[in-house]
Amino acid sequence: MEGEAVIGLEVHLPVNKLASKLFCSCPIPKEGAEPNTHTCPTCLGFPGSKPILNESALKLVLKFASALNAEIQKEVVFSRKVYFYVDMPRNYQITQYEIPLGVGGFVSLSNDKKVALKRVHLEEDPGALIHPNGVGSSNIVLVDYNRSGIPLCEVVTEPCIKSPEEARDFLKKLLSIIEYLGLFDPANGTLKCDANISIKDSGYTRVEVKNVSGFKEVESALQYEILRQKKVVKEGGKITMETRGWDAKNGATYSLRKKETEEDYGYIVDPDLSIIDVTPAMMAEAKSEVPELAYDKAKRLAEDYGISLDDAGVLAAEIGLADLFEKVAKEINPVLAARWLRRELAKILNQSKKSLEEVKIDEKYLIELLDLFEKKKINDKTTKELMIKLVSEPFSPKKYVEEKGLVAVSDTSELEIFCKKVIEENQKVVEDYKNGREQALNYLMGQVMKLTHGRASPDIIKALLQKLIG
Amino acid sequence: MNIKQHIEKINKQEINAVEFTYKALDEAKKINGEYHYLNVVSEELAIEQAKQLQKSLSKKNFKGKLAGLPISVKDSICVRGVESAAGSKILKGYKPLFNATAVQRCIDEGAIIIGKTSQDEFGFGSFSTNNSDGAFKIPLNPFDKERVTGGSSGGAAGLAQKADFPHVSLGESTGGSIACPSSFCGVVGLCPTYGLVSRFGLIDYGNSLDKIGPIGKSVGDCEAVLEVISGYDEKDSTSMKQELKKGKVEKVGLIKSFFNVDKEVKEAVMKTVDRLGVDYEEVELPIMAKYCIPAYYVLATAEASTNLAKYCGMRYGSHLPLEGNFDEYFTAVRSEGFGAEAKRRILLGTFVRMAGYREAYYLKAAKVRTKIIAEYKETFKKFDALVNPTMPMIAPKFEEVSSLTPLQNFMMDVSICGPNLAGLPHLSVPCGFSKKMPIGILFVGDHFHEKSLIELGRRAEQ
Repeated sequence: MEGEAVIGLEVHLPVNKLASKLFCSCPIPKEGAEPNTHTCPTCLGFPGSKPILNESALKLVLKFASALNAEIQKEVVFSRKVYFYVDMPRNYQITQYEIPLGVGGFVSLSNDKKVALKRVHLEEDPGALIHPNGVGSSNIVLVDYNRSGIPLCEVVTEPCIKSPEEARDFLKKLLSIIEYLGLFDPANGTLKCDANISIKDSGYTRVEVKNVSGFKEVESALQYEILRQKKVVKEGGKITMETRGWDAKNGATYSLRKKETEEDYGYIVDPDLSIIDVTPAMMAEAKSEVPELAYDKAKRLAEDYGISLDDAGVLAAEIGLADLFEKVAKEINPVLAARWLRRELAKILNQSKKSLEEVKIDEKYLIELLDLFEKKKINDKTTKELMIKLVSEPFSPKKYVEEKGLVAVSDTSELEIFCKKVIEENQKVVEDYKNGREQALNYLMGQVMKLTHGRASPDIIKALLQKLIG
Repeated sequence: MNIKQHIEKINKQEINAVEFTYKALDEAKKINGEYHYLNVVSEELAIEQAKQLQKSLSKKNFKGKLAGLPISVKDSICVRGVESAAGSKILKGYKPLFNATAVQRCIDEGAIIIGKTSQDEFGFGSFSTNNSDGAFKIPLNPFDKERVTGGSSGGAAGLAQKADFPHVSLGESTGGSIACPSSFCGVVGLCPTYGLVSRFGLIDYGNSLDKIGPIGKSVGDCEAVLEVISGYDEKDSTSMKQELKKGKVEKVGLIKSFFNVDKEVKEAVMKTVDRLGVDYEEVELPIMAKYCIPAYYVLATAEASTNLAKYCGMRYGSHLPLEGNFDEYFTAVRSEGFGAEAKRRILLGTFVRMAGYREAYYLKAAKVRTKIIAEYKETFKKFDALVNPTMPMIAPKFEEVSSLTPLQNFMMDVSICGPNLAGLPHLSVPCGFSKKMPIGILFVGDHFHEKSLIELGRRAEQ
């Protein structure tokens, strides 16, 4: 689809790892918290209450804006965006309008393309609506204000993304930065996205798809919308400016409202919040606190440890994985360590649906395990099994292997006896192999493995068998 | 007895706080029956506070700066557990979960909260006659029941005049709502510098303009309460850490165009000026005089229209039976719950901030405001304070008020609007009578120069 579509994204990230909400001291609720238990007069908008800015949220988002290479503005100004909606305690949202925290900036993609940003700003989340019998079939709607006032960071790109795949890569890179900065806890909130999409065939008439959750969904919604627009044009129809919703269940967008003009929110500067001067010291602090991010880290890992840029990229995408790698690579051959971490460990975590943060794997034991493998004390299969075990519980692989007698049979004289036995008992197969059937050797290897209970290295068996058969 | 003597007697336990409070409440209720100064008499709370105070005095060696002083609180200022409706039907039944900081600070110093004073709905008015289409009783002038108290803190000023017991009222001014009723009711009203007194717990009208201040019988009474309620508060982001400046009263400027008023009003004010013992000369602030009213009404209503968005019949205040969708429901609640003036200001305030008009009105008004502040600042290089008649006339009769157009209505505040728009402290002090109705003189100071105003006020009231 390259070159045919123009996409701009507006990403909303809950800044939900903080101790409290954006304008009050209510703690940020965990997923599944009882409705309306994390509220106070301020986040319920009671008359007489006043918002007070959470300075940690400001600091964190300033850091984020720096990490996105945005230009931090000299004043922090909040505005009121007025519209009536049930989940809005004051019927206006405190957000940023004329002056966002950061202007410009970019995010580097895997293909080294830079996605240009328009702005980065800070705002509050409204409450959440609960439809007891599902949307459309409930005659009442319940409101949970637990979410009301959770800080949201909005990142708006220029319309410079060329494909759904690129959009997905952008979001992945954005998530990685957020993870590096400790801004967002995905267990307690969702990344939400509004996307503007237009295609060449329609003369770039802009359609907005609102409120898509999660980056895989964004890719699907964009793919669907581009195909839909192409089909409309192909069939002689016309694309009109409109806002569409995303039905994730059926994988389709649907029209919400035609857009004759931009919505008019009657913004005014929020007179309850004094304007904060961002001092050069604050800017410098925000900049200095940005850690080495994935893009740079990948380059460094590849250079310092002599691993492939591909491996380095996968490791660096997750800060926990990259940190673990660096610890392990000090003791173990980095190429081997990289392979085990990016392939096996990542696969195990993926299958067990756990994050590295959750399992808290002890690098001491991981080093022991990979050391055993590197020294050929255990084979590939045992290493994998023990790694699975390490993900679920801490233990010393070295002791375990000794106790359970899992040390690989690497004594060739002992192995030779097994190999000879197998050759003797499978003369016909040996003949096949001699006649050029390569697979026959695999069968013989399997038989030897069986006799050694899987403790031998396949490479050694293979070499021995070839030598013995001649 | 001024409040200082009363407080001393309470602290020394020469007066029993509980017995005194019962008497004060009885008197307040009696006055209220006739003049309608209180939307709520918080009898239970007052007695409870008095009992607590008496206990602290006798057992804990407590001494309070406002010990045993009955304080009435404008309806728009939150008192925990007491209906605080800001004079609007839409907030009927709203009992805040917290005290406004100003109220809490008074309570901490031993004050007794006796009730919520009547006002124009959300502070929208100059006569306290905008009573949310009849939802509240209209306060009557203490000197003549056929005349208005002024507004919007009308109940506060009326009670401050009429109560014979020691008492101070907490009023609130957005565009002149402390000075105007103080002048019409013959009491002292002190509106502090914006940011000196915390707005936490104030039901907003125009957040960048709202100021809580005392209304009382004397400058000294107001000063004592201001001392307690002022100072930085972490619960209000616009609260200031600044200390008050040292008082200095050598030269004042008389704002010439504001002396073009009723003859008797002018004479009374000039007589008082002569007694001040300071140099004075005439001065003009042309930008302020010409543009303060339009700039004020654009900014105040723009802010008000967003503040009032929250009133939609959910969570608190008045509700209707649940019918229709959300849009239909909240439209019905708001149509029913807001009075005519509130609706006018919502419409005006929404209009001036909409795309296409925002530049021409809201943003321009903000720029004008900056220019007005600059003009004042320039003037204060030459003068320690500015002086003019608080109001151009005595309190009008109800029938006179009802014939005013909205614009004439807005223009009533021209002589008190400027300092409000610029966040400047101002003090209205009674300075004579015309047709047996009180006249007020207004002193306006530079930011945080309340002490100069208090000194001038003292000289004026002698």
